[in-house]
Amino acid sequence: MRQLFSLAFLLSLFSCEARAQDAVATTDQLIADIFEQYTAENDEDIDYDTFYEELMYFSENKINLNKTKREELERLPFLSDIQVENIISHIYRFGALQTIYELQLIDGLDMTDIRRMLPFVIVGEGMNNNKKIYWRDLMLYGKNELFFRLDKGLESKEGYQFLPEEEENTAEENAKKYIGDAFYHSLKYRFHYKDRVQVGVTAEKDAGEQFIGKMHTGYDFYSITAQLKEMGKFKTLVVGDFRANFGQGLVLRTDFGMGKSSYVLNVIPRNSGLKKYGSTDENNFFRGVGATVRLGKFDVSAFYSNKMIDADTVNGSFSSRYTTGLHRTIAEMSKKHTVNQQVIGGNVTFTYSKIQLGFTAINSLFDNRLQPVRATYNYFYFAGKQQTTAGLHYRMRWQKLNVFGETAMTDNGALATINGFSFIPLSQVNLVVMHRYYSPEYDTFYASAFAETSRINNESGFYLGAEIRPYKKWKISVYADSYRFPWAKYGIDVPSVGADYLLQADYAAKRNISMFWRFKYEGKQGNVPQTESALPVVAPIQKLSLKYSLSYSFGNFSFKNVLEGNLVRKADAPWTYGAIASQDVSYDFKTFPLKVDFRYQFFDALKYENRVYSYEKDVLSAFSIPMYFGLGSRYYLNLKYELNKRLSLWFKISQTIYADDREVLSSGNETIAGNKKTDARFLLKWEF
Amino acid sequence: MKKIASILTSCLFYCAVYSQISTIIPSSSSIAQTAVADTHNWSAFTNPAMLGYLEQTEFGFQFENRYLLNELSTKSAQIGFFSKLICTGISFSHFGYSQYHEMMGGIGFARNFSDKFAMGVQANYFTTYFSASNSYRGTFFPQVGLSVQLSPAFNIGFNASNPFQSTIKTEYVTKRLPSVFSLGTGYSFSPGLIWRSQIDKELSSNYRYATGFDYLMLEKLTVKLGGYWLDYLVPCLGMGFKTGSFLIDLNCELHPLLGLNTFASVHYRFRK
Repeated sequence: MRQLFSLAFLLSLFSCEARAQDAVATTDQLIADIFEQYTAENDEDIDYDTFYEELMYFSENKINLNKTKREELERLPFLSDIQVENIISHIYRFGALQTIYELQLIDGLDMTDIRRMLPFVIVGEGMNNNKKIYWRDLMLYGKNELFFRLDKGLESKEGYQFLPEEEENTAEENAKKYIGDAFYHSLKYRFHYKDRVQVGVTAEKDAGEQFIGKMHTGYDFYSITAQLKEMGKFKTLVVGDFRANFGQGLVLRTDFGMGKSSYVLNVIPRNSGLKKYGSTDENNFFRGVGATVRLGKFDVSAFYSNKMIDADTVNGSFSSRYTTGLHRTIAEMSKKHTVNQQVIGGNVTFTYSKIQLGFTAINSLFDNRLQPVRATYNYFYFAGKQQTTAGLHYRMRWQKLNVFGETAMTDNGALATINGFSFIPLSQVNLVVMHRYYSPEYDTFYASAFAETSRINNESGFYLGAEIRPYKKWKISVYADSYRFPWAKYGIDVPSVGADYLLQADYAAKRNISMFWRFKYEGKQGNVPQTESALPVVAPIQKLSLKYSLSYSFGNFSFKNVLEGNLVRKADAPWTYGAIASQDVSYDFKTFPLKVDFRYQFFDALKYENRVYSYEKDVLSAFSIPMYFGLGSRYYLNLKYELNKRLSLWFKISQTIYADDREVLSSGNETIAGNKKTDARFLLKWEF
Repeated sequence: MKKIASILTSCLFYCAVYSQISTIIPSSSSIAQTAVADTHNWSAFTNPAMLGYLEQTEFGFQFENRYLLNELSTKSAQIGFFSKLICTGISFSHFGYSQYHEMMGGIGFARNFSDKFAMGVQANYFTTYFSASNSYRGTFFPQVGLSVQLSPAFNIGFNASNPFQSTIKTEYVTKRLPSVFSLGTGYSFSPGLIWRSQIDKELSSNYRYATGFDYLMLEKLTVKLGGYWLDYLVPCLGMGFKTGSFLIDLNCELHPLLGLNTFASVHYRFRK
C-alpha cells in the first residue's frame, strides 16, 4: 500500500503546484459554484452568508486531514456523508496521509472532488487545538475584518415618489410609500482567532428602510455574536445570536438544510451543534446563550433564546410570522418586533465508535397566541402560545453501510420520521435510500429536514440517489423522489402526489475544461383556477428541464457558457417553454490586483411557470440567483480590486432590459417605469 | 413592385429573425449563415472575434439579392488589417432602395490569443432613411464576439450584437434594432470537411437553428451544403473558389414561401 501511496505522490508532483495555485486563486468562485449546485434545483432560499463564511473560514484555516474528525469534515458541504466516512476510515486504517493526492486512492473521491477540497484542507502534523488561549495570542494572531456594502437600484421606484400635497388622497397614498431612502447598506465586523474565538457584529438597512428619521434612527437590524470553542469542558459556548442544528433537522435546524440538489448523495444534514450567527437574515436564529459540554462520550448542549419577532398582531394574537425582514413602510413598521418568543432547548448526543445516538428537545413560548386564519391547507398548522417538540436521532456505520434517521414528536402527538441508509456496493457506485413521513399535524418552528417543500409537515416520500463513476473523467448523478401530501397543501386543495427525477452527467475533459448536462423531470399536481365545480379541482403539472454548462479557462481568462431550457404543461394545455443562454468571460490580471467578470445573457420565458433561475457572480459574500420571466437580456460587470493586502473593493453593475413591450416593471412600491432595471453594488473589505 | 417590396420588407421585419438579421446584418459567405464559429472567414457584422484569425490584410465585397427583388438587396464591403497585436476591421453595408434604406458602418478590433481563443469588439453605427420626414436617424450599438478552440478539431463561437437593445426614435415611430445572441460550434472531421452549427436568437423573434458542411472537393473548390430552420426549413447550397489571392463564394437559399435568395462575395487577401 505504501508503494501505491508513493506512486500517487510522484504522479501528483507534476501537477500539484499548478493545481494548488489554480484552486487558491478561485476560492471565492469555487464557493459560489458549490453553492450554485445546491441551489440550482432547490427552491428554498438558502442563506449564502453562512455558507460563504463557513467555507471561507476553512480556506484560511485549513482542515488538517490527519488530525480531523468527522464533524469537522462534515462542515465541507460538498462532501457526501459517504465520502466523509471513507476519508476517516481510510486514515484510520492506513495511517496519516503523506500527500493530499493520496485522496485519489479513497473510494468515492475523484479529481473533481479533490480539487474542490484543495483550498480547504491540508495534510500535516497538525496542531493541538486544545491549547490554552492567552490574551496575547488573541491580540497578536487574531484576525479582524470589516465589511461595508452599499446597493442601489438606479431607476426610481414608485415607493420613493411622493404625491404633491395639493392632490386629493395625498396623505393616504403617501402613507403607503417607503419611509426611507433607496440605499441598502450593511456593516459587518468579524474577529476570529482560529476557530477558537469568534466575535461578530452585523448591522443592516434594506432599501426603503429609514436610517435617520422620525420613525427610526440607525440600522434596522443589529446582530451580535460570540463563540468560544474547546475551552476546557466546554466544546462550544455561544452568546448573542446563534444557530442550533441537531439530528436530521426534524426538531431543530436553523442552518441551511440538505435538500434535493445535484449533490444527490448529500441528503443528510450535518450535525454541527451550536454555532455563531453571522447572517443578515433577520429571522432564522436564536438570541441568548448556549453551551455544549463534553462529558466522556456524551455531548450535552443547552440553550436559551429570548427575542422579539415580527408579526401582524391584533388583540393579543397573530395569524402568522412576518419573515421578510423588511420594514420600509408604516404598515411594515407596525409589524416589527410585536411578539416575544422564548425558546429553550437542548440535545444529548452519545458517540461510541461508529454509533451515534442523540436526543433533542425544544420548547417555544410566545407572549401572544398564534392563530392562523384557517383555510383547508393550514387546517393542521400549529395554533397556540407554547409548543414542545422532541426527537431521537441515530447514525451507525457498518463496513460500507451507513444507517441514519430521526423520529420526532410534537406535544400534540404528531409524528415525523426520516430514515435511510447510504451504501457503496461497488467502488464506482454510491447509493443513498431514504424514506420520510411527516404527519399533517406535525408542525414545529425550527424544523428543516429533507422534504419537497420548505414546511416539514404533511408529506411522505421515498428518495433514491446514486452517484456513478463509469469511466475516468465522467460522473453520473441521478435521483428519483416520489412523494405524497396526505392533506391539502398551499396551492393544492386536495391530497396529492408528485415525483422528481434528476439525471446529471459531469465530464471533466481536461483540467481546464469541464461540462455537465442536467435533465430534470418534475410531476406534481396544482389547483385549476376558475372552474365551475364546487369542489376543488387539481390537475397534473409537468416540467421538463435541461441544462448544459461548459466552463473552460486559458491562462488568465476563464469562460462559461450555459444553455438552459424547460417545458411546462398544465393538465391538457399545450406545452410552454422557457430558455436562457449566457456567455461569461472573466479575466484575472496577474500583475495588477484586478479581476473582471462579464456576462451577457438572454432569457425567453414568457410564462411564469417557465421562469428560469440563473446564478451570477457578485461582490464578496453576496450571491445572486435572479429569476427570469419574460423576454429580454441581461448583462453585468463585476470588478474586484485589491488596493493593498488589507483593503479590497468590489463593484458590480447589472442591467436587465426587457424586450416584451412591457412599460413598467414589478408592482406596488417596487414599480419601475420603463423596461430597464439597473443595479449597482459596492463592497469594501478591510482586514486589520 | 414597390408595394410588393414594402410588404415583403414588413414581413421581413416582423415575421422572422433571419429577416431581421438580414435587413441590418449582411449575410456571410458561411453556408446557412453559420459564421459565428467560422474561423476561416471573417464576415462583416457577424462575429468580430473572427477578425482575430486574419493572417494577412484582406478586403472584400458582398452582394445579396433576396427573392429576386432588387429592392431587397444588401451590398456590403469590408477591409481587415492584419497586425500581430490587434487586427482591425472596417465594414459597411447598405440595404434597401431610395424610399427606404438602411446603412451601417462599423469598426472592430480583435485579437487571437495563441490560437486558444480570440476576442473581438466592434462599434457600429446604424442609420436609416425615413421618407416621411425626409431625414436620416441613426444610433450606435456595440457588438462583442468570442471564439474558443476547445480542442484541435472543435471550436465554439459566440456573438452578441446590440446587447443594450438600442433603438431609433423619431416623432412618429420607434425602430428597434435587432438584438441578437448567437452561439455556434465548428468541428473538423478532417482538414477538408468541416461541420458547423449555430443557434441565433433575436430577442423578439423565433430561434434560428442552422447547420452546414464545407467540403474541400478540389484544391481550389469547396462545396457547401446546409440548411436552417426558422418557421420553415430552408435548404442552402454554395460553392467557394480560390484562385491565387482571390476567394469567390456563391451561395443560394431556397425559402419555401418567399423563394430564392442568392449571395455572392469576392475577397482579396494580400500576401503575407
